[in-house]
Amino acid sequence: MNKPIDSSLLSPADAYAQWQQDYAAGIGVDKSVRNRSGVPIQPIYTERDWNAAERGADLGLPGQAPYTRGIYATMHRGKTWSQRQLTGLGTPVEYNARLREVLANGANAISLLPCNSVFRGYDMDESHIELLGTCGTVINTTSHMDQALQGVDLAKISCAQNDPTPFTLLAFMLATARRRGTDWRAISGTSNQSDYLSHYVANHMFFRLALPGARRILTDHIDFCTRLLPKWNPMSVVGQHTQQAGATPAESMAFTLCTAIQNAKDCKARGLDPDQFLPRFTFFFDVSISFFEEIAKFRAARRIWARITREQLGAKDPRSWRFKFHAQTSGVDLTRQQPLNNISRVTVQAMAGILGGLQSLHTDAYDEALSCPSEFGARIAIATQNVLREEAHLTDVIDPLGGSYYVETLTDQMQGEIERVMKVIEDAGGMYAAVEAGLVQAMIGESARKFQHQVESGEQTVVGVNAYAMEEDSSARPINARPDRAGMQSLIDDFKTFKATRSQAPVQQALDALARAAGDVKDNVFARVVEAAEAGCTHGEICHTLRREMGFGHVQAVV
Amino acid sequence: MSKRTPLQTVWQVPPALLAGERRVIARAISQIEHGELAPGVVSTALRSHLGRAHVLGITGAPGAGKSTLVHAMLGELLARGRRIAVVAVDPSSPVSGGAVLGDRVRMGEHGAHADVFIRSLATRGHLGGLSSSTEEIVDVLDAAGFDVIIIETVGAGQSEVEIMRVADTRIVACPPGLGDSVQAIKAGILEIADLLVVTKSDLPGADSTVRDLKDMLHLRARPAAGAWTVPVLGTSAEKGADVAALLDRADEHLAATGRARRLKARPAPKVEPAAGDVKARVLAMAAADPFVRSLGISCTEAGPGTATVAMTVGAQHLNFNGTCHGGAIFTLADTAFGLASNSHGKVAAGIDAHITYQQAARAGDRLKAHAAEVSRSRKLAVYRIDVTRADGLAISSFTGTVYVTGIDVSVPAQETM
Amino acid sequence: MNQAVIPKVLVTKIGFDGHDRGSRVVAAGLRDAGMEVIYTPPWQEIATVVKLALEEDVDVIGISSLATDHLIVPKLMDALREAGMSDVAVIVGGIVPDQDEAVLLQAGVARVFHPGSSMAEIAECVHDLTVAGRARRVAV
Repeated sequence: MNKPIDSSLLSPADAYAQWQQDYAAGIGVDKSVRNRSGVPIQPIYTERDWNAAERGADLGLPGQAPYTRGIYATMHRGKTWSQRQLTGLGTPVEYNARLREVLANGANAISLLPCNSVFRGYDMDESHIELLGTCGTVINTTSHMDQALQGVDLAKISCAQNDPTPFTLLAFMLATARRRGTDWRAISGTSNQSDYLSHYVANHMFFRLALPGARRILTDHIDFCTRLLPKWNPMSVVGQHTQQAGATPAESMAFTLCTAIQNAKDCKARGLDPDQFLPRFTFFFDVSISFFEEIAKFRAARRIWARITREQLGAKDPRSWRFKFHAQTSGVDLTRQQPLNNISRVTVQAMAGILGGLQSLHTDAYDEALSCPSEFGARIAIATQNVLREEAHLTDVIDPLGGSYYVETLTDQMQGEIERVMKVIEDAGGMYAAVEAGLVQAMIGESARKFQHQVESGEQTVVGVNAYAMEEDSSARPINARPDRAGMQSLIDDFKTFKATRSQAPVQQALDALARAAGDVKDNVFARVVEAAEAGCTHGEICHTLRREMGFGHVQAVV
Repeated sequence: MSKRTPLQTVWQVPPALLAGERRVIARAISQIEHGELAPGVVSTALRSHLGRAHVLGITGAPGAGKSTLVHAMLGELLARGRRIAVVAVDPSSPVSGGAVLGDRVRMGEHGAHADVFIRSLATRGHLGGLSSSTEEIVDVLDAAGFDVIIIETVGAGQSEVEIMRVADTRIVACPPGLGDSVQAIKAGILEIADLLVVTKSDLPGADSTVRDLKDMLHLRARPAAGAWTVPVLGTSAEKGADVAALLDRADEHLAATGRARRLKARPAPKVEPAAGDVKARVLAMAAADPFVRSLGISCTEAGPGTATVAMTVGAQHLNFNGTCHGGAIFTLADTAFGLASNSHGKVAAGIDAHITYQQAARAGDRLKAHAAEVSRSRKLAVYRIDVTRADGLAISSFTGTVYVTGIDVSVPAQETM
Repeated sequence: MNQAVIPKVLVTKIGFDGHDRGSRVVAAGLRDAGMEVIYTPPWQEIATVVKLALEEDVDVIGISSLATDHLIVPKLMDALREAGMSDVAVIVGGIVPDQDEAVLLQAGVARVFHPGSSMAEIAECVHDLTVAGRARRVAV
């Protein structure tokens, strides 16, 4: 080519051919690119890939099936996403102080993160003191929950509980509400970790009971909440764990949707009406730094869920077809090296979630990769959301990327990949069967290995780790706050005193009733858990009773 | 590459092992696994301490639910007050040679019990073969005092059958499935099974699998009267009673076939006498040989299959040319030949011998004949003898063949020369 | 002929955290490097780890810690010492703040690996610790 051509004189077909020529000449050796889900990515997308005239109907409008562009007509412009920061450290009193700060700085919803000992179903006096309160708040009784939520009006502030089956922390919160005279019907929030299947395959930390017991209690929980807590979302189907464990974004979404189908079927089998429980099904996802892939993933999911709820689950109410989700920026993408870079990573991840149409967002602190986030880091995380909303004005336009050739094509392709994986699961007999058989775990392990290989070979750059690395001054890394040992010891002492001085008869009766309920399919185990919380039983006592009756959860170790 | 140290052929039984000390047991097993010992050495040394344990072998195709079954068996055995050792065999990667040994984890909380000892074994190239290593490891555990030893192995070809032979009672686990699972049981395994177990018997298809297996057993040759009839049992992880029944049947099998069937199946150990004993015996043989003594030949060194004799050439050994008579040299070599071939304790009769004379020997020369065993089968053995002068000069080469009889060498004990 | 040295490694997690993606990747990596790996799920009791290491006669114990569970590794070191197993090497991998790394090394941990460590580095370390350990093996 010697003379540049005036391309405005070319027909569209010739112009495209011209571009192809110029591109090939200019690019030299082109690389073949695939996103994390394996979808091949082109250098450019045009109406040849996605034609609005043909496909516009598939797209729909916000608030209308299939909801590709958003589940509500107004989306963030009408009501901004919930700024729901996950917080937890130390003793209930220490937690309360941090919580009030977070609320004062702009968070409008709470997500309580309990200590790992609580996740594992142990009371503080059964645990190594070194490990108490280092990653979350220690809460073992109703009084602890009351202290933790001092000054928080449960009727006004939405509070998510990150507590797996048997949902003791929600039970403590309900008991607290009763003490305060707050009407349960006003309480809003989510049982964030109610998805026992995702725990079994990918975050077994949360897995306390054997599979069949966990399955039963989930249905009891949904039943109870549907009747008595109309503003509470008892079902949060979790994609975060599988994606963090190494599943690709498409796989993780597929596993999540299949789990939702499984849980919905279990509820239907119990006799519950889909239009009663589906509107209270929410989803919880990891948002990785693969920007466009994540946006497409969420848009595709809305379309798939709208179809499944209508066609497979028989829901008639449009509120049942809406795919509502909370997203957390992915800690897996963050690095220990040059940690301040994590601020830019979190910003990109948050944008992907917002442009993907989430309802609620948690942004990680930059020091998440080092240990429990510091106050300093937590403040920046909240500010990030404020900047995106109020300086970058990301709430002004609904689904701003809608109609983009790339984003629409990618949405279709992600939908195809998600549905392909869903079929593998359905062919294996559904999510419960696939998990029992170890199929899902094997798929996750394979994807994790592949990604590790890509990072080790340098194919996937991680700034500061396998590229752009530099000598760092380790003194520049923040020192991790550890809970005050004396304060923790004092909490343990008070706890022992509480156990010794409380009235034992109601405690024993409540635990016996709980044990009986575990063996009686007509009884509601979660209702008995709530009663046990009100009678003064501790978290450990409740968990041990159920483990004894229903079996300790042992996950498969698949390497 | 590690330096190659010679294999230990002798192994002392640590008293602490017989007392059941866990660290010592673990270390002994490691010596077998690391290939430090010649195959069979440990079993031989432990001979008189074996036969107390009931050894159960469990196999089945992947997915048959073996680990779940073993887990349930451990629970029931602990409730019965037994001490149990488990050898869990896991396949090594044919590509890397490494392995992830995950079986013990599937045995759950029982692994932490003081009366349970679990050792994982990878299938990678074992000196002497995987089944021989497994056998020796089981012997260590038997000698250490465990009541029950469970060998859990994955269905993996011929070695699976060999490993199962290491057990007294052989259990084959089979998942429920319409006909497929029956196909999956390799013929070799079915031949040696003592008990067949259909796992997950609460699932649909279990009953027909039980029937299919019973049919297959009927098609085989009828067992001889009084011999053990192989039962087909169903177990379900949900039902503890099933596992108790399985263990009871295993006990019945033990009683029926007699204890320690695995030991009876072994060839009688070759009682190789210690090298020192052999030397003493050979020296006694030389001392009891009138012809050898008359020529002034003495035996200086001996061991299994080797002997060295010496003679100083004197005036009575010379020929008419003034050099050492060829017959004397022949006798020297032949003496070494005879002592070496009889050193194993059985009378060896010479049937063929050849000699070549390379150099003449003279009066005063100190000659040495050294015999080495070239080959030995059950009935024949060949020896090569080199005759040399004190300064190393090669005097003569001799080759001889013997026929090994079944008669024991009997030589009255003599003082050594 | 002796076998080439094949390290026997325990990869495990103690304490409360359940995130085991890293430990599974390391277990698979060590297997691919030709080693024998006993892999356990998280939440092992310290006493169980000691018992397992003893019965399997492992050369190296690899502790994966992503939350703060490394804070009880000194208790593991004490338990190993009490069981007469100080000759078993212990390495820790995961998220260990700088201030704690020194404490671990002081307690007898052979090496601490941080995120970004390559599989090759880890395998080489395990191999070297095994060779040194076997050479030093005290008759029990």
